[in-house]
Amino acid sequence: MTIKNDDYIFDIEGLNVRYETEDGTVYAVNGLDLKLGYKKTLGLVGETGAGKTTTALAMLRLVPSPPGVVDCKKLEICGQDIRALSAQKLEEVRGKDISMIFQDPMTALNPVFRVVDQIAESLEIHEHLSRSDAQEKAKELLEMVGISRSRANEFAHQFSGGMKQRVVIAIALACNPKLIIADEPTTALDVTIQAQVLDLMKDLKEKHDTSMIMITHDLGIVAEVCDEVAVMYTGRVVEQGTLEDIFERTMHPYTEGLFNSLPNIADRQAMLKPIRGLMPDPTEQPKGCPFASRCDYASPECESEHPVLRYVSDTHKVACSAYDRQPDFLLERRKTR
Amino acid sequence: MTAEKIETTQPESTELASKKYHKRSAFVAIWNRLKKNKGAILGLFILIIVTLLAIFAPVIYSYETDVIEQNVTNRLKPPSAEHWCGTDDLGRDILARIVFGARYSLAIGVVSVIISLIFGVTFGAAAGYVGGAFEDVIMRITDIFSSIPSILMAIAIVSALGKSTFNLMVAVGVSSTPTFVRVARAAVLSVRGEEYVESARAIGMRDWKIILVHILPNCVSQIIVQATLRVAQAIIASAGLSFLGLGVPAPAPEWGSMLSAGRAYIRNSSYLTIFPGLAIMITVLSLNLIGDGLRDAIDPKLKR
Amino acid sequence: MHRYIFKRLLMLIPVLLGVVFIIFFIMDLAPGDPVYMVAGDQATEEELDALREQLGLSGNIFTRYFRYVNNMLHGDFGTSFVTKRDVFKTYMERLPNTIRLASLAMIIAIVVSIPLGIIAAVHQNSLKDTASMVLSLLGLSMPNFWLGLLLILVFSLRLGWLPSGGYTGFRSIILPALTVASGLAALLTRTTRSSMLDVIRQDYLRTARSKGVTERKVINKHALCNALIPIITVFGIQFSNVLGGSALAETVFSWPGVGRLVVDAINQRDIPTVTGALVMTTMLVSIVNLVVDIVYAYVDPRIKAQYTK
Repeated sequence: MTIKNDDYIFDIEGLNVRYETEDGTVYAVNGLDLKLGYKKTLGLVGETGAGKTTTALAMLRLVPSPPGVVDCKKLEICGQDIRALSAQKLEEVRGKDISMIFQDPMTALNPVFRVVDQIAESLEIHEHLSRSDAQEKAKELLEMVGISRSRANEFAHQFSGGMKQRVVIAIALACNPKLIIADEPTTALDVTIQAQVLDLMKDLKEKHDTSMIMITHDLGIVAEVCDEVAVMYTGRVVEQGTLEDIFERTMHPYTEGLFNSLPNIADRQAMLKPIRGLMPDPTEQPKGCPFASRCDYASPECESEHPVLRYVSDTHKVACSAYDRQPDFLLERRKTR
Repeated sequence: MTAEKIETTQPESTELASKKYHKRSAFVAIWNRLKKNKGAILGLFILIIVTLLAIFAPVIYSYETDVIEQNVTNRLKPPSAEHWCGTDDLGRDILARIVFGARYSLAIGVVSVIISLIFGVTFGAAAGYVGGAFEDVIMRITDIFSSIPSILMAIAIVSALGKSTFNLMVAVGVSSTPTFVRVARAAVLSVRGEEYVESARAIGMRDWKIILVHILPNCVSQIIVQATLRVAQAIIASAGLSFLGLGVPAPAPEWGSMLSAGRAYIRNSSYLTIFPGLAIMITVLSLNLIGDGLRDAIDPKLKR
Repeated sequence: MHRYIFKRLLMLIPVLLGVVFIIFFIMDLAPGDPVYMVAGDQATEEELDALREQLGLSGNIFTRYFRYVNNMLHGDFGTSFVTKRDVFKTYMERLPNTIRLASLAMIIAIVVSIPLGIIAAVHQNSLKDTASMVLSLLGLSMPNFWLGLLLILVFSLRLGWLPSGGYTGFRSIILPALTVASGLAALLTRTTRSSMLDVIRQDYLRTARSKGVTERKVINKHALCNALIPIITVFGIQFSNVLGGSALAETVFSWPGVGRLVVDAINQRDIPTVTGALVMTTMLVSIVNLVVDIVYAYVDPRIKAQYTK
């Protein structure tokens, strides 16, 4: 149950990513710590701009540079120090050990190559298959994600959005990676297709014992597929724990805010309570708690002291200084339960 | 409420007014971006100097004694303190001829582009606005024109009309018209569906007035960029025609004809070839720099 | 696909008829009756009429146009006023020289510009990028006939490495080809760079990298195949300028191609030769553009799909 042992599929400490542009520096990820046990699925949750995708890209060293600048104290995935890998070694890891499913299936596929070739390419690189063997395996993969092999020789523009996303998934799964990073894999899809794609990913993950990071802003998806959850805000993890920790024992006011923004089917009369205000300007680094200006519980101290991510139980971590000042502090959400 | 409103709506409704305001601030924004582009500013600087030299050429040199008058004792002198760029085969100061030549090149470049602008924008805007069979006919004719290599067409036109400065302008102008038909049509098509055009039509504004008042001003920036780059091309084209002996008649100091005349002396007096060509290149370069800078400033998304 | 090619060939016919008419119209603007050129001053009125009939100069512009088109369809482009030779034959003798020159120029332009444009795009805003952009801007701003003169000055007169003109084997083609190539190379470098910059930001390159594709292959295969589409377009459009530009280069280097044929014919007021050469050159341009469009359809499956449906 606990993840406090050395069996981590990945272990990130002190990840910082900033984008240095002409108009100023955007601090996308700020001192992020994150780890996950084998065969687990982590939900990475937060608003747009919280740094979720940047974190994922940094794990594969895919942050575009310039303008991106990455530094990190520790970045170990599958027992390898990703930071120290040579370009060649890194290419061996990408797609083989770690693969990524991208957010927008419409743009993630190359428009001038046949779909089957785009899947087969990974197999040729990592499994050293011959071209015809790779093609055959790619067609099997297509069938596995529910696309008829007769369409293998078509191009991306001949596919619907859901089918494209299936192709992207097939590419990511081609070499049975140990870790899959799925960046909002269903956001661009219709609701009915969403469920299909999620089911597919769940099945495949179980079949191949893969670990996964599911990046999303949809708490429904998190509840459905994740074992653990990390809530991100302004490039930091503000709360992390098991699914139950986050859903039943919510501790961070921002996490509470995310829940309050969801409609509640049981009580349709209840007002939605969106989080007030906007995320602070990512070009500035706030002195105190970055959520203070939007937080209903904020006290003057929150404006000046930076909260630290601390363990509150074996599995549950939170970054909120209210708990340091009053140990019996409880969010509204917890009181009503 | 609506019926009354429609009857009393003037063309200058708030939406249109705000559009105009928006446009003015857009020009300021373009200029502010252009100012940051070192290349464009360099180009602007060079172009201003060349233009000033062209305007004040008669103040610096005398056309009769420096540019035209032959002086056999002074022929083919290499560059010196007295003649910075040397003298040509007839003893004329090359720098003086280059400075006067700027008048020809700039005038030919600008006038020929104005000619192609007038025809190109008229036909292109009309084609884009009217659409249908009319558009098809215009575009097919444009296709036909642009399939003839433009230099060869210009050569044919000059030779048919006879060698003169104006005919050169016409030839270069006609041969670069298809570009403007295309640009203007594309620009009109891109704004034709906009709401302010629809609303102008809804209140019964005449078509030509809609094109003139609402559509063209919104395409101006794209057309200016094309025009700047085309002036550069026109200067090269007209120099090329003059080089072939089809341009400005002697003894006028056109840069292309100077190159043509200097060719015979290239072995021992290469300055006859080098300096007029440099003049062409620098002028054209300045226009290209400005055109590129303008394009980036108008559409920052395209900035590379 | 075959239907598409057939349709395009069919569409070529009205364009070519239009081209012939425009060229006919332009040449008709020339003042004076060309018949005097052939007949001389002593000819009587009857002799002139007979000559007009013989040279196809009788009747108004439409009669002459239809007669010309009709003859053209039988491969008859008239007879030169000056040399009295068949225009079609003369043109075909010159054409291989121009094709040789244009092909080498295009090969040089492609070999130089595509790598240069890719390097500039991949290292955007670096010194390499700035250098290649300055170079291509200079290439674009330089009249190619002047570059030709400078090349003669340096490589044949000063260094004595290459001939300054005429047609004397491979060595003599190098300088004219460089001259013609310069403008095209400059333009293609810029196109390649901006097209690559567009493509480099696309998500599908990130997908390719995340698969473990080597950076080299990401650029040279995944990116370039997409970037080629606009490059091919520009290349097609520029073919006409390459032929036009070679008219000047051919004059500078006394290269016996069709460009010089036109220039010489114009200076001698040899109207049948001018008309014939312009018509045939334009035909060539149109056919090349058609080929480019077909290549284009093969490179971009989206366009191919559009036409095969």
